[in-house]
Amino acid sequence: MATTAGGRKLGRVMPTGRVLAIIVPFIVLLVVGGGTWYLYGALNPPPKQQPIAFPHPVHVETLQLDCQFCHRGAAIGPAATVPAVEQCMFCHKVAVTDRPEVQKLRAAWEKKEPIDWLRVYRMPDTVRFVHEAHIQAGFDCAVCHGNVGQQQVVQHARDLRMGDCVTCHRVNEAPTDCTTCHY
Amino acid sequence: MQRREFLKLAGASAAGTVLFAGCTIPQSDLLLQSPALLPEDLLAGYDQWFASVCRQCPAGCGIIVRVMDGRAKKIDGNPVHPLNLGRSCARGQAGVQALYHPDRAPQPLSASGPRGLGRFNRASWEDAGRELMARLRAAQAQPDSVVLVTEPLHGHLGMVVERFVGAYGAQHLTYETLERAPVRAAVKRVFNQDRLPDFDIANAAYVLSFGADFLSTWLSPTQYNREYGLFRQGEAGGQRRPRGTLVQVEPRLSSTGANADAWVPVRPGAEGLLALSIAQVIVSDGLGDRNAAQRMFPTPGALDPFRPDRVASATGVPAERVVQLARDFAARRPALAIGGDSAAAHTNGTLNLTAIFALNYLVGSVGVQGGVRFNPPLPLRELPQTATATSFRDWRAFVERLRTGQPRPVSLLLVHQANPVYGLPTAVGLAGALANVPFIISFSSFVDDTAAYADLVIPDHTYLESWGDYVPDPGPGYPVIGFQQPVVQPFVGSIQFGDLLLRAAQELGGSVAQALPWKSMKEALQASAAELQRLNRGSVRETTPQRFWNAALQRGGWWDAQATVPGAPPAAPQVPTQPAPATFDGDAQQYPLHLLPFPSNALYDGSLAHLPLLQALDDPISTITWATWVEVNPQTAHDLGLIGDQESDVVAVESPFGAVEAVVFVSPSVPPDVVAMPMGQGHRTFTRYATGRGANPLTLVGAREDAETGALAWASTRVRLRKIGRRVRVPIMQGNVSPIQEASWIQIAGPEKA
Amino acid sequence: MPKWGMLVDLDRCSGCRACVAACQIENNVPINTEEIVNQRRGIQWIRIERYWEGTEYPAAKVRNGAMLCQHCRNAPCEPVCPVYATYHNSEGLNTQIYNRCIGTRYCANNDPYNVRFFNYWEPQWPESYYHYLNPDVTVRSKGVMEKCTFCVQRIRRTERQAKREGRALKDGDVQPACVQACPTDALVFGDISDTGSRVSRLAQDKRHFRVLESLGTDPVVFYLKKVDPQHVGDAAKQPAAH
Repeated sequence: MATTAGGRKLGRVMPTGRVLAIIVPFIVLLVVGGGTWYLYGALNPPPKQQPIAFPHPVHVETLQLDCQFCHRGAAIGPAATVPAVEQCMFCHKVAVTDRPEVQKLRAAWEKKEPIDWLRVYRMPDTVRFVHEAHIQAGFDCAVCHGNVGQQQVVQHARDLRMGDCVTCHRVNEAPTDCTTCHY
Repeated sequence: MQRREFLKLAGASAAGTVLFAGCTIPQSDLLLQSPALLPEDLLAGYDQWFASVCRQCPAGCGIIVRVMDGRAKKIDGNPVHPLNLGRSCARGQAGVQALYHPDRAPQPLSASGPRGLGRFNRASWEDAGRELMARLRAAQAQPDSVVLVTEPLHGHLGMVVERFVGAYGAQHLTYETLERAPVRAAVKRVFNQDRLPDFDIANAAYVLSFGADFLSTWLSPTQYNREYGLFRQGEAGGQRRPRGTLVQVEPRLSSTGANADAWVPVRPGAEGLLALSIAQVIVSDGLGDRNAAQRMFPTPGALDPFRPDRVASATGVPAERVVQLARDFAARRPALAIGGDSAAAHTNGTLNLTAIFALNYLVGSVGVQGGVRFNPPLPLRELPQTATATSFRDWRAFVERLRTGQPRPVSLLLVHQANPVYGLPTAVGLAGALANVPFIISFSSFVDDTAAYADLVIPDHTYLESWGDYVPDPGPGYPVIGFQQPVVQPFVGSIQFGDLLLRAAQELGGSVAQALPWKSMKEALQASAAELQRLNRGSVRETTPQRFWNAALQRGGWWDAQATVPGAPPAAPQVPTQPAPATFDGDAQQYPLHLLPFPSNALYDGSLAHLPLLQALDDPISTITWATWVEVNPQTAHDLGLIGDQESDVVAVESPFGAVEAVVFVSPSVPPDVVAMPMGQGHRTFTRYATGRGANPLTLVGAREDAETGALAWASTRVRLRKIGRRVRVPIMQGNVSPIQEASWIQIAGPEKA
Repeated sequence: MPKWGMLVDLDRCSGCRACVAACQIENNVPINTEEIVNQRRGIQWIRIERYWEGTEYPAAKVRNGAMLCQHCRNAPCEPVCPVYATYHNSEGLNTQIYNRCIGTRYCANNDPYNVRFFNYWEPQWPESYYHYLNPDVTVRSKGVMEKCTFCVQRIRRTERQAKREGRALKDGDVQPACVQACPTDALVFGDISDTGSRVSRLAQDKRHFRVLESLGTDPVVFYLKKVDPQHVGDAAKQPAAH
């Protein structure tokens, strides 16, 4: 590195600066681009091919089932929960047993195997989201999840990052203290 | 990858392309599983609390366990259980670490190496079951060659085991490291009670405790801690009660001594002598109950040899201090005298406790509030409600039988949970004698020191996965039975020991099957519950047995607070006044120091050394974790040139029977001629957290026993310290953070002004 | 809105460490391994400080005191955080927002009670121990500070429960893990803005004091003095060492 004499830096000061001038924008690009991809991309993945192509429209629009008929935890606990295979079989023991996707379900039930759905909505580990509070406050599921009855494959209906949460909390005069969600 | 690491890498590296390689959320986090089955009580993310009984120590407190998604998350005290009323201790909190321990025996194991090394292969259930039955059938011709070793059992498992060994004809031995036999013997002699009494600390004005570390490990510590809070700062009828005074008499300052208003260091083994000396002052000064005194010491002048000035040199307590203690004890009513732990662990242990407990009669503290109250039996006559362990004396005889094969060799040894290879002094030689047993089967949940000698391990459930019950002994002064239910499905391939015995009995058929009519432990419990339901009294009253069963499980048991012992307490007994000084192993010249092992606040007797939470819990006196230390008086340390601080000398603690290494903790908690060591460490085999860690002071202890009960006199050995010139950093919590100011921030209120 | 506070009765405290263990299980505090303790980097949100008063056998006395975050109303740790990861909220909690924290450790430097802990390592448990971790509490990653939260997850849970049952919170409804465990009832938790709450009433006791009162931190953890009938006043007190 540079040595000093009489308080002035000597040597390869300029070349280092030039190298930095090339590298720094690269790093900035990398950080900003990669960071955005990491934070946004991971939280809002593209639509996923589920192990069973479950059609929400049939259940929600045609049969007019209430969301909480299957997602039993939404009003009483933190997690909305996906239904157990047994719960699906309450109906599908007799209802539309011949469809190929229902056959997959019945096969899982025969073997008493769980089904590994691909998660669509995921909060970061530092967030303690509670469905109960939002349902109890009178919000419709669609406020966050969109009209699932129109979605053949479930996908993100809104941003659901912190800015989105806080804006909604502000509008509705819900608490915005950090420890409402982060602890 | 975490955001923070991402920032760090981005700041530090310009490497570019590899930067984001790890930036994905783990695959498992991206899955959302539909369980196959839909149990009614299981909802994801929704917690439930199940009542059960803690079995981390023999106290038997009620617990509630928070269960979420089929996993136990947290254990807390059961708010309605009379023993602990919602409170818990550090050991109870650590229960989830036993349940989910990474080194639980995962399924039946068969030995794959020499005995003692703990090398095992996994075995199938079929093979294990076949082996067990074949061994049991083969030995049926000579049933007394089969020996079953368990922890002291009462309640339903006790009943099942007793009936099994009775019908089969096997021998049943029980083992506990911290023997309660001297306490039981003294209670029997002084109070004529089979069950341990309820020491009503909460309502006492003055507690004189001889060695009993009741705020840490003695008998029922959570109950006693709860009562201690009331004893100090309790309220009665909205008014603050006068603050109780606690005086602790013991050679080494225990956790309880540290909380006492006064610590009276006594010479090891002279506790009974001191108690008699206190009695002498009370009687001769006419301070106490004269009738009781007359019954206790009928021979005129029997107490004269115990005049404080005559025994001062033997007890190490100045005469004037004894007089003061006696006067305070007699004046501050109700006064309570209790004793245990090191006071009982001498060759004169039972005598010591007899003299100590008898003091309660002199001040009218028997059968009264604030004194010694008795525990009535549970109204289940068939059920064993108390258990005394096989004495150390009998264990020695058993080891002799193993060694010589006389009078009859042992062909099959069955061991459930108990760990005698760890707890029995090495000098007894159990480990070596086990070589003469053709086949050993262990039913331990973990491969511990004893299970390491087994040829076959058939692991038991932990208590959080089992059906069971616990009749606390000592109870709270009225009948209590705690119901233990599985709060989660078995986590590994284990089987409940009681159920296994019942199944084995069915397969054996004949008289054994007849003696055990139940199909499972649950069924046996339900039969007793039905009996309680018919009584129609107590905490649960229901119209049908099924409703009673559900309600009792929900509350964690059944108790009857009205059923206290009626009538007058038994009259004062005659108290022996023949002095029996404690004797010690080790020549006083060669081995100048008394060794006082003591139960560890965290690891208890060593049975909890496998739990990292407790290993990392700082000791109340030394604040040391993870290690074995030896407490040395500052003067002694100075004389021997020993340093004990953040970095400490390692010393060899040598007795006539062996030597162990420990780090020095220089402490004013011991007199110059006493050193103290915690029990609990020094396991040869006991999971990743305890194996090969620290040292077991019981390996230094010889073969002395309490003259009356034959219990191991674990405080009767002398040792010497040898500096070995190594100095190590000590895992000590003191100094984990820098002190918040120069002196203690703890403020003290002086004597209350009248 | 309640203002949460705690009281520690030093005359009841027996130093049994039930609080320490209960806190560690409830709050997913990493295992303080031997290596970690040896480096004096153990994490205990609540700890029992053991002081010797005097050094001479047998006169030396042990003094136990529970020390935890004092949730000061004038907290020295809060203004030094460059990213507002720690601040005082309207319920009187000194918060630590893990996802904001960048690990400068300024707060720990400025904390006179030494109750803030830095994660020098990624916390690690054997795989099977993840089953008992509390899903209501974030597992802190390497590089962030952590500290006592007054078990805010329990406060939130109890608030939800009260709401579900359509009632207001009662005194004693919220119990942090340490308070629930404490067998001597030395720890009391509650709303200090409610003069009728148990914690408020006990804080009026003539034995009350607060730790390092002279610093003006205005803590909401109140202490009641240990009683020692033999105590002869501060003049005779020998220097103590923790």
